[in-house]
Amino acid sequence: MIPLSWYLAVSFILIGLGVYGMMVKRNLIRILIGAEIMGNGVNIALVAVSIYSPVFSFVGQGLIILVISVAAAHTALAMVLMLIYNRRYNTVDLGTPISLEDDEHV
Amino acid sequence: MMQVDIWFEQLEFVLLAGIVIFLAWLALEHRDIVYAAFFFGFMASFVSGFYFLLEAPFIAGMQIAVYTGGISALIVFAVLLLPRAQDSSLEIFATPKRRGIGLAISTLVGMLSASLALFFPWYDTFSPDLPPLEFNLEFLSQWLWSEHGIYVMMTALILLTAIVGAIAILQMDKAESLLSIQGEFGIESVEEPIDDEASVEEPSEEVGNE
Repeated sequence: MIPLSWYLAVSFILIGLGVYGMMVKRNLIRILIGAEIMGNGVNIALVAVSIYSPVFSFVGQGLIILVISVAAAHTALAMVLMLIYNRRYNTVDLGTPISLEDDEHV
Repeated sequence: MMQVDIWFEQLEFVLLAGIVIFLAWLALEHRDIVYAAFFFGFMASFVSGFYFLLEAPFIAGMQIAVYTGGISALIVFAVLLLPRAQDSSLEIFATPKRRGIGLAISTLVGMLSASLALFFPWYDTFSPDLPPLEFNLEFLSQWLWSEHGIYVMMTALILLTAIVGAIAILQMDKAESLLSIQGEFGIESVEEPIDDEASVEEPSEEVGNE
């Protein structure tokens, strides 16, 4: 039997990697990948805790179904926002200096 | 024999964990973003292995369907729709200082939480009243639809809102970039109807030639 702490350790390492990606990266796609890695880490922790809890409940698994669906929705929305950002500023890097004078929409 | 099974299961876990962490690192650090997107898809597939080990096969299937099939495909589409993103020479990478600070903070977060995971007295075995694996989907769907159907509907509503919102945002942006046609009689009119102009000019040329 695998101890619960092993699952939690892996999930926290994934959360740490996601935090790293979101803090360090400037490319919007990489930031989105970092957020998804964090989400995966959280999902593993939730399912593991719900399976190992002394009183079994489907709360963990049910919650994961909802979380995964919402993750798909927010990824679609993030993609659209990325496309708009690229169309307006002609870049997907957050570090690029942007002149507001060039922006017709401001 | 029992001990061998436990070792084998633990070996599977360690292998899976190593592959998942390595692929996650590659997804963040690979210089070519197309490869990074594919590495993310592979990582999402391998994460489903944890759910199989946790005896949650439906979640594993959903992980593969949504993360590998949906989200990573969306990320690949995003890369393909943004030509600038495909050129890794245009990407701005973090400065060593920023990278160091990010690495330090994320290591701190990871170590603190991993130490909590390793030293807190968690339960070591599965829940004693865990339902049999073959009834997992049946019980899960009963649990979802009998008492918690409202959450499923809320999720459906959120998905619908996100999709409609995404399309609306794109269309709004397109509409904002259109220029209005300003003419003599208002915004939607043109100065001279093109068809009439062409039909008037053609006979005059013929007369001139004669």
